[in-house]
Amino acid sequence: MGATFYLQLAIAGLAVGAVYALVAVAIVIPYKASGVLNFGQGELATMGAYAAFVLASFQLPYGVAFALVLLGGAVFGMVIERLLIRPIANAPAFTLVIATFAIGLAIKSAVSVRWGDTVFSVEGPFGDDPLLFAGLRANPTSLWIVFCTVAVTALLTLFFRYARTGMAMRAVALNPEAATLMGIRVHATYRWAWAISAAIGALAGLLVAPVVGVNPEVGQLILRGLVAAVLGGFTSIAGAVVGGFAVGLIETFASVAVGSTFKNLVPFIVLLLLLAFRPYGLFGTREVHRV
Amino acid sequence: MFEQRFVWSAIVVAALLLAGAVLGSYPAYMIGLAMVNVIAAIGLNLLVGNSGQISLCHSSFMAIGAYSAALLAAYARLPFWLAIPCGTALAAGVGALLALPARRLGGVYLALATLGFMQIVQIALEEWSSVTGGVRGLKIPKPELWPGAVLTPFAVYGVVVAGCVLAVWTAHNLMHSRLGRELNALRLSPHAAQALGISLARIKLTAFTLSAAYAGFAGGLFAQLVGFIDPNEFGISAAVRQLTFIVVGGVGSLAGAVLGAVVLSGLPELLRPVREYNDLVFALVLLAFMLFLPHGLVVLWRAALAGRLGRREAVA
Repeated sequence: MGATFYLQLAIAGLAVGAVYALVAVAIVIPYKASGVLNFGQGELATMGAYAAFVLASFQLPYGVAFALVLLGGAVFGMVIERLLIRPIANAPAFTLVIATFAIGLAIKSAVSVRWGDTVFSVEGPFGDDPLLFAGLRANPTSLWIVFCTVAVTALLTLFFRYARTGMAMRAVALNPEAATLMGIRVHATYRWAWAISAAIGALAGLLVAPVVGVNPEVGQLILRGLVAAVLGGFTSIAGAVVGGFAVGLIETFASVAVGSTFKNLVPFIVLLLLLAFRPYGLFGTREVHRV
Repeated sequence: MFEQRFVWSAIVVAALLLAGAVLGSYPAYMIGLAMVNVIAAIGLNLLVGNSGQISLCHSSFMAIGAYSAALLAAYARLPFWLAIPCGTALAAGVGALLALPARRLGGVYLALATLGFMQIVQIALEEWSSVTGGVRGLKIPKPELWPGAVLTPFAVYGVVVAGCVLAVWTAHNLMHSRLGRELNALRLSPHAAQALGISLARIKLTAFTLSAAYAGFAGGLFAQLVGFIDPNEFGISAAVRQLTFIVVGGVGSLAGAVLGAVVLSGLPELLRPVREYNDLVFALVLLAFMLFLPHGLVVLWRAALAGRLGRREAVA
């Protein structure tokens, strides 16, 4: 087991991590904007995966399906925000946690009712023939996922830095009252946050569908996404992306080190350790909150 | 007032026992399950409803109680009246261990920590199959009073009724004790509670431990009643279902926890013809209550009671 072996593992870990990174980013955006952690985020990925499956059955070209999933996700996110989140936005954290959980459970069970537990397969956009490069193999689907994750991160960074809406969202995250006084419509920024987040969640589902197959359990991604978000400090998009890749790498190397049974435990042990010792993550800033 | 309550309780218990005796085995089994749910809901309510902490791993403590009671009965041949308390104590101990780091966390972070813990327990149950039977589940020996003396199904039902009475009674007394008031104080205002000399760390630890003990107790009874357990019974959808009990009933109220657990335990029976919609209906009920009746059924109950009693309630 030479360097090639470990590089090969690293490639696999990054490919898995890219999906976790997308889910983590989708979790962080509304949390940062409005303090709501969407525990139903995983099921938005489930919807994205099923949308990819349904659209593929209509023989739509991949590009069209891609755009439709993003758009559909965004609209769905806005609808959830308006109908379900806004009415209880000022409720205690408990209510929001349970409500978002319920949204996820509703989506998951609706999907199960319609399609059952069958695992459907969809094809990746570039086939399955591995690419060879300097003795390393890489699946084109994995490379495409990593590319999309990097692109989404870059676009989001630009959006939050230069776009008017992005800057407004940052202002609201810092101080909603002051932002309102500056003429920013706070509700509009929440709507944007949910739209972007749901679109990214759906994208994660679309991307991961060829790898894991379309089934109601795609939403389990959220668990790794949450670990990634905590690792990244929960309020930083760059942190969430790095956290996602880190969780992917940890998981992949753990499967070699301790076997595939124990590997599933590793992310959660990391999560508990982080929450116990560094709840503000590796990149987040420490919030001093004394009671 | 005290005597009236005592009489009512006696009537309810008598009615439950009578129902178990005359209704046949399946309805009695369903009532038994409802009572197990009541016990779990009471425990969750202490932690979530009264002290205001979020828990997504209540079902895991139930699993710990159920599996350890079952394993003790199977391997150590312990009678049920020793196995269940041992399972309860173990669940409480693990609850206390989890509370040590968790009590420093609040809100969303606590939700995350408990979710992570739930996953770990779930994976352990599934993968440690030489002990837990893994995903194929674990068959539980019939409960024995002492080695060789197997309980009849009605006796098991009676044990569940007794357990439920014990849970309601202890919780009722707890809520009217200093500890109950401290739990509520922690939820209503941690700052004020601390200023009044309540140690938040101690109260959170107590709340977690107590709630885990109730869950472990419910788990032990569940295992004896059903005779078979598998990891699916204690996963995230079970945790959400238990939260639904207390939200639908009325968060923070003992009557609400009982009411919610009883009403929602009946729901799957009603939905039997459309069983695949079970989880969907639970999720939608939960959302509807969050949006439209955030204080739960117990509000309607109290309003009805106040309407009937009229001035008497107002004076009291």
